[in-house]
Formats: sequence, C-alpha cells, structure tokens
Amino acid sequence: MAKHQTEYVTLVSSDGFEFKVTRSAACVAGAIKRMLDPSSNFKEAVENRCVFENINGVVLEKVCEYLYFNEKHRDSKDVPDPDIPPELCLELLMAADYLDV
Amino acid sequence: MSGRRAGNRIRGPHSALTDFLAANNISAAEIRDSYRQRVQQAAQNEGDGQENGEASIDRAQIEQEQAEQAEAVAQAAERSRKRKRNQEEAIAKVKKSKELKRKASKKSKRGGSDDSDDEDYNELDELYKKAKPLPGQLENCEVCSKRFTVTPYSKTGPDGGLVCTPCGKELTKDSKASEKAKKPVVRKTRRKLESNRLDGLVTQGAKSLQQLCIEKVAQHHLDIEEFGDLPEGVLNRLSEIFSKNRVLNPRTMNLFLRPDLDTVAMHECANLQTEDYSQIFAIVPNMQKLVLRNCCQFKDENMEYMIEKATKLKHIQLYAANLVTNDMWINLFVHRAKELETLKLEWLDAAFDDQAVEAMVEFCPNISRLKLRRCRQLGVDSIDAISRIEKLEHLSLHFNQEIPGERLINLLGNVGLNLRTLSLERFLDASDEVLSAIHSTCRNLVKMRFTQNDYCTDAGYVSLFNDWANPPLQFADFSSNRDIDNSNPEGPEDAIGFASAGFAALMAHSGSKLKHLDINSCRHITHAAFSDVFDGQKQYPCLQEINLSFCTTVDTVVVAGIFRSCPALKKVVAFGCFTVEDVVVPRGIVLIGVPKAQDAIEQFGDSWLNVEQALGAMVEVGA
Repeated sequence: MAKHQTEYVTLVSSDGFEFKVTRSAACVAGAIKRMLDPSSNFKEAVENRCVFENINGVVLEKVCEYLYFNEKHRDSKDVPDPDIPPELCLELLMAADYLDV
Repeated sequence: MSGRRAGNRIRGPHSALTDFLAANNISAAEIRDSYRQRVQQAAQNEGDGQENGEASIDRAQIEQEQAEQAEAVAQAAERSRKRKRNQEEAIAKVKKSKELKRKASKKSKRGGSDDSDDEDYNELDELYKKAKPLPGQLENCEVCSKRFTVTPYSKTGPDGGLVCTPCGKELTKDSKASEKAKKPVVRKTRRKLESNRLDGLVTQGAKSLQQLCIEKVAQHHLDIEEFGDLPEGVLNRLSEIFSKNRVLNPRTMNLFLRPDLDTVAMHECANLQTEDYSQIFAIVPNMQKLVLRNCCQFKDENMEYMIEKATKLKHIQLYAANLVTNDMWINLFVHRAKELETLKLEWLDAAFDDQAVEAMVEFCPNISRLKLRRCRQLGVDSIDAISRIEKLEHLSLHFNQEIPGERLINLLGNVGLNLRTLSLERFLDASDEVLSAIHSTCRNLVKMRFTQNDYCTDAGYVSLFNDWANPPLQFADFSSNRDIDNSNPEGPEDAIGFASAGFAALMAHSGSKLKHLDINSCRHITHAAFSDVFDGQKQYPCLQEINLSFCTTVDTVVVAGIFRSCPALKKVVAFGCFTVEDVVVPRGIVLIGVPKAQDAIEQFGDSWLNVEQALGAMVEVGA
C-alpha cells in the first residue's frame, strides 16, 4: 500500500463543511487517530479524509479549534479553559464523546 | 541659617541664593556624591539639624541645577503654550515630543564624548530626571497643565511627571477599575486549579473536551430543557458533576430520567423530595441499577412503589435512607429475592437491623456484592448471617458495634475463598488470627483493605503475605494500622500494626501487580524499610498511586526512591511527611501535601524534566 502520510487531513461535517487540519492535531482525538491509523487500512486512512455524518459544521469547527488548542498546550501546565458557547455545549459533548477527546 | 533654608526653598535661576551658590563654586561632583548618599539613605528626614542643613543645601543645589537645565525646555513649553493656549492636550504632546528630542540629542552627544565624561553625564542626567519637585512646591500638572502645589500624596502621571489632585483621583479610579476587572478572573481560576489538583483531576496539558463540556453544562443547568439521547456513561458523569455542584434538584433530576435507561444514579439527593423518588420509578421502570446517595426523604411509600414498578432491579445502592422501616427493608428482600445481586447501604441509623440482614441472606441467595458501612444497628448476628451467602465476591464491612475476632474468622472461613474484594474497616478486635484466616482461605483477592486496627502485630502481617497462595493484589489499603499509645509514640519493641516487616512482605508479594497503595498513618514503618523497598533497583511496574501521609520517616531520599522504582507513578500523597523537602517532581507525577509553608501544597512535575533529570536536580539541591 502506498503510504501517503500527508501533513494535513480533511474532516468533513454532516452538512458538507470541510476542515483541513494538521495530522498531529487531528490525532489528538482518539477516534480520528484510529481512523487514520495506516495499519487499520480504513478508507479514511487511505484517503486522509474523515466524514462525520453525525456532527454538523458548527460543532466540528469548535472541535477543530479544540484540537489545535489541545495540541498547543500539550506540554504546559495550568492551562486556561477555552471558551465554549453554552448553546453548543450539549452537541459538543456528544461529539466529544464520539470522537474520544 | 539651615532652618531658613529648609523652610524657604528657593528655585529658579534668578534668586539671590542661586547666584550666591554659583559664586561659591560648588561643583556638580559634590552634588552627585551627596545624591548617591541620599539615595542610599532612602532620603529620609533625619532629626539631626546639621544633616538637615546639608540636605537642604544639596536640595537647593539640585534644584538650581535642575532649573538651569530645564530652562530651555520650560521656555520652549512656555512659547508653545502661548501659541496654543486653548489646546492643552496638544501642549502636553509638544512637551513630550520635546522631551524625547532632548533625550535623543543627549544620547547622540553622549555617543561622541569620552567614557569618563559620559559617565558623569549619565549620572547628572539621571539626577536631574529623578529630582522631582518636593512637597510644598509648585508644579505644572502633567495631564491638565494646571499649576498646583505638590504634596507627599501627589501621584505620578503616565509619563513620569507629577499630576494635580483631581487628575490623580481620576488616574487611581481608572487603575482601580481595571484592577477590579482583572482580579476576580485570576483568583477564580487559581482557586479552581488548586481544587482540581487536590482532587487529582489535572495533570498536564488541556482538559479533555468532554470534561470541558460537562463543566459548561453543569454551569448552565438552569437553561437546559433536556439532554437528548446522551450515552449513559456521559449521563452518569453529568449526574456526578451536578451532584458535586449541589444542583441536583427536582427540576434537574428530570433531565436524567429517560424510559430507556438501565441505570439511574443520583449521587447527592439531599434536595429531592418524597414525590420525586416516585417519579423516578414511574419514568424509568426498566432500570436495573439504582444509585441514590443521601436520599434522606426516601420513605416507605417510595420503597413500596419501587418494589411494585421497578421489577428488573438488580443493583441497589441507597445511602442514608433512614425513613425506610425495618419491615419495608425485609419486604424489599422478599420481593426482589433472587434477582438482587448488589446491595450497598451506608449511614443507616434508625432502621435496618440484624433481622433485616438475616432476611436478606435468606431471600436473596444471588447477592455477589455487599457493602454495609456505618449501619449502626448491625452486630454479630449480621456477620454470622453474611457468612451464609454463598455467591459473595465483593464484601465491604464497616461496623460500629464491636465484633469478636472469632466471628470474623468464621465469616472468612465460609466466604473467603470466592472473595475478590475484601474490605474490613475498623474491626478493632481483629487479631493476628484474622490475618492468618485470610492467609489460609482467600485465594482470589484483587482488592484488599484492612484499616484502623491497633491489635494485629507486624509479625501477623508478615505471615499473611509470606507464601500467600493469593495472586498479587492490585489494590492494597492498610492505612492507620498502628499502635496508639501517647506515652510511647515509638511503639513497643515487637512492632504492633502494619510496620517495616509487614510492608516489605506486602511489596514482595504484591509489588508486581500493585496499582494503588495506601499506607497512610502506618508510622512504625522505618526509614530503612522504605529505602529498602524503594531502592531504585526493585521496580513496581504498575504502581500508580501511593498515599504515605503521616509516615513520618519518609524523607526526600525515600520520595526520590519512589520516583525511581515506580515507572507508572501518577500521584504521591504525602501530607505530614515533614522531612520531605526540595523535591523536584518529574514529568507527569503529582506530589500532594508536602508541608513546606512557602510552597504550594501540591507540586506538579515540570513538563521538561524526566525522572533522571529531576533526580539529578534534586541531588544538586541536596549537596
């Protein structure tokens, strides 16, 4: 299998929004990491593209924000909490549970 | 003369005194020296009249120099003020820019001159700058350019000059407002952080997104209509955090009730009323597991309704349900009978006696998990009854009444073989024979707790662990097993309680699998025993959490040894270990409670240090 471990991967929301994020940030989420694991040979790993039918664009955008936030603060301590809009937090919670972040 | 000078300060280039001083050939060097001296002495008003006099001379000279030097600037400012009398802000700007230009030109001059001259110039420059008008003098306000009398309370403006009283008030108001806006945020996060650390929640990096969302949801619990179909695990964690924040009330309770749920877990029900409990069973009749803690208003009628409605119930955990009568408890056991697998009861004072336990044993043969803690009416008869439960796998007991050791031995002899969890707290009359009964009967223990006993000897613990056919424990809690005698704090010669030899035997037996070790308050474990167990050579690959609070022999060397010996370590709790100091905590480990007054109560591993680097740093400190 031709391994093309691109630097960026694409996350697609249920309503068709595409988010290009760095592979390292995307792999903060356990589920995405497993999807993209080359040894799993999933379609996602081959195409470097993950489609989430159960997450809409607004929520996925927040998730991407968090992925970068987490990666940025990986080695620091006493990290401030990022702002989460209250109206999104339940949907975001579902997405976070699904994505294992 | 000195008094006159001090009182009648003179400034400006045209006074008689200025001329007089100039005529007396007083040099700048002198002024500089005295300036240094005064800086050192913090320019305090000494009582000595002579000194006062000198100081006033100095002051006058400084003022003179300053005035001469500032003359050009003042004139320029005066001119510009005349030009733009109406626009005071503009004047200030001009002044400022002139000042800047002046400084710049000085700098360029300085660049060209000799080193020594340069230094002199520097000193003088500084001197002129710093010598601000003294109290009692007049000065132009930096902000509004009005002339005002300088007082000791005059404030410094944004550009370093003095400002008049009204402007000063404005400034302090502004700064106070901005302080207020900033401060609470900082304090809150700090408070929160400390709290989380003591709870062991935070290690490193950002919190998980789930955690963040759950906290946010709990914060906005008033605005939430329903949770939708959240998975049960998430729902349970939400319930936990609602309970922790004490926002679980009749309204929010409904968020956690869904007909399709298997589990209803409310960890803090103090705000729920009797009718709310009935609602739980009406909405979720198919539940298999029920957890209600602090359910103070759970009454007979609720129990009756539960028996009637929730017919699939297998696991019951009710804490502090003191309004349920004995007969109703027996009623529950009669009706749930063979389905009941788990029963956890705690804080029952008014009812639930030995008879109820006997009924439970009689009607519910399939109980595999039993926890009875602080049920005040339970005594020896309950112990005997429990020993007849055949399928018991997890047993936790904490009785208030005294239980003779031989009844415990009988209990262990009957149920010991299948037990995977054994927790015996505060059985004061349990002797070495109880330990040897555990040794001879238990073969499947994974988790063992045996605490608050001052009767068993160290030798008893040694014979428990030596050649024990039980596989290594994963969870060991032997806290507070020590001799209590105020007149003899060191304890008797043949140690009583969980001491050096017992500790070594436990680690030899279970070290390979042990994940959680609690030996808090076992104060007869010697330093030698600790350093032998945690010598850096022996490895405890699974050990994640250690509590050695109030083991007073633990010192920095022991803690360093623990860091070396436990590669999977996450948390060390060491309250009351007074000889632990200057510990450099490696990455990923939390050290809580090291009592050094000036430090935070808890220390986190520096993110850039691994174990070896941390130990290296510690050795340096120690040397």
